[in-house]
Amino acid sequence: MDAIRLSPDDNVATLLRAAKRGERLEIGGGAGVEAADDIPLCHKIALVALQPGDRIRKYGETIGEATAAIQPGAHVHIHNLRSLRARAR
Amino acid sequence: MSRNEPDFQGYRRADGSVGVRNHMLVLSVGGLTIPTARRIAASIKGAAIVGFPYNAGSLLGDDRATWRRAMFALALHPNVGAVLLIGDNPPLTAEVAAHVKRAGRPHAALTLDDCGHDAVTLTERGMRASARLAMQISSDRRAPAPLSALTLGLECGRSDPSSGLVSNPLLGRMADRMVDAGGRAIIGETVEWLGAEHLLEKRAATPEIATAIHEAVRRREETAIRNGLDLTGNNPGPTNIAAGLSSIEEKALGNIAKSGSRPIQGVLAYGEAAPRPGCWVMDAPAYASESLTGFAAAHAQLMLFTTGVGNSFVSALSPTLKVSANPETCARVGEQLDLDASRVFLGTEAPEAAADRLWRRLIEVADGAATWGEVLGEGDEVVARFGPAM
Repeated sequence: MDAIRLSPDDNVATLLRAAKRGERLEIGGGAGVEAADDIPLCHKIALVALQPGDRIRKYGETIGEATAAIQPGAHVHIHNLRSLRARAR
Repeated sequence: MSRNEPDFQGYRRADGSVGVRNHMLVLSVGGLTIPTARRIAASIKGAAIVGFPYNAGSLLGDDRATWRRAMFALALHPNVGAVLLIGDNPPLTAEVAAHVKRAGRPHAALTLDDCGHDAVTLTERGMRASARLAMQISSDRRAPAPLSALTLGLECGRSDPSSGLVSNPLLGRMADRMVDAGGRAIIGETVEWLGAEHLLEKRAATPEIATAIHEAVRRREETAIRNGLDLTGNNPGPTNIAAGLSSIEEKALGNIAKSGSRPIQGVLAYGEAAPRPGCWVMDAPAYASESLTGFAAAHAQLMLFTTGVGNSFVSALSPTLKVSANPETCARVGEQLDLDASRVFLGTEAPEAAADRLWRRLIEVADGAATWGEVLGEGDEVVARFGPAM
């Protein structure tokens, strides 16, 4: 297992080791995925294609929204994920 | 020896509390005498020091109440065997001394004013008084005490995603065990409930407590908005982000796992002691130094503190056990981690087995075994500030 999906409806997994672009990763709790980026240990990888505004889910809960189109296998972090909290309304 | 007995060896205090350490504490009641307090503490082997850098008599509103509460509470922390109070405010110093005397704790009190406003004289008299107190409490002996006498503070700092995956759930198991043994467990760091508050609210023992949790989170979130603060970069901070945490929601969902699964008995103010056994949440700042002192003022005798990438800071008064599950961190800062949980992260140790190891170590530390933070002297206490002062 190279990464773990914590809940069946999560659309990201957490890397249990650093991954190189092009590597095939085995996902605990989900289907495998090919890394589209170099991704460090503990960072997140997209398991499905996401559109801007889509909710990003980990622990079976919402952790933010996508700010760009995200391909399966892409690194998901602050460059393409934004918190939904403490934002001026 | 098997450790099935549900007790530990502690110091029984005249006020009924039980300590896991027997500190000779030098407590500076004001800011002007902190350098003298440091000199005195450095001259007495093993002495602890806590300094209050402001004049609590000049603070206003919440700060005034918080600082007074913290000062009175830390002077009588269960892990303190005796205390030397020194200060630059004679009425306030006398008030704290009277409080300590009522509790029957050995103490002495000196002010700059008593010493001709001469820090050197205060140092000399303080050294003599501390030496006598240290000699007096050296005769104190540990005695069996129930786990129900303990309050556990639960902290995380310089977290990464391994904290939420492994280390914080491990602390949650410790919180549950402590609560099941009749003790108290406290988590704080209110801003790190944002995005996970619905899960805490579901565990509230009453609807009123659920509302109090919701309101504490709303106040924090509105403070951030009012101050134009983007939490991304603040909390999660730069170190969290580099380690892979992307939003406050992600961090919070990992953070609250420290509180375990038992019903939440109430929302404590900063530094307020839990009035009954069980699991509690403290409405408090997230930065580890302020957060740990909030727990210490609530008379937590032991702290459990998870880290992702490494965090050396510990409480000065309460032994603080450090836990990490990040394999790179465990390899890099082994002399700052009291439990290496990386095998749980790698899937080669069951979480329950790691929980058994951590629980055994926690009881050993309660009985007197040192933490890495104590060996390395990484402890301090920092009382939070909330508003303007005169």
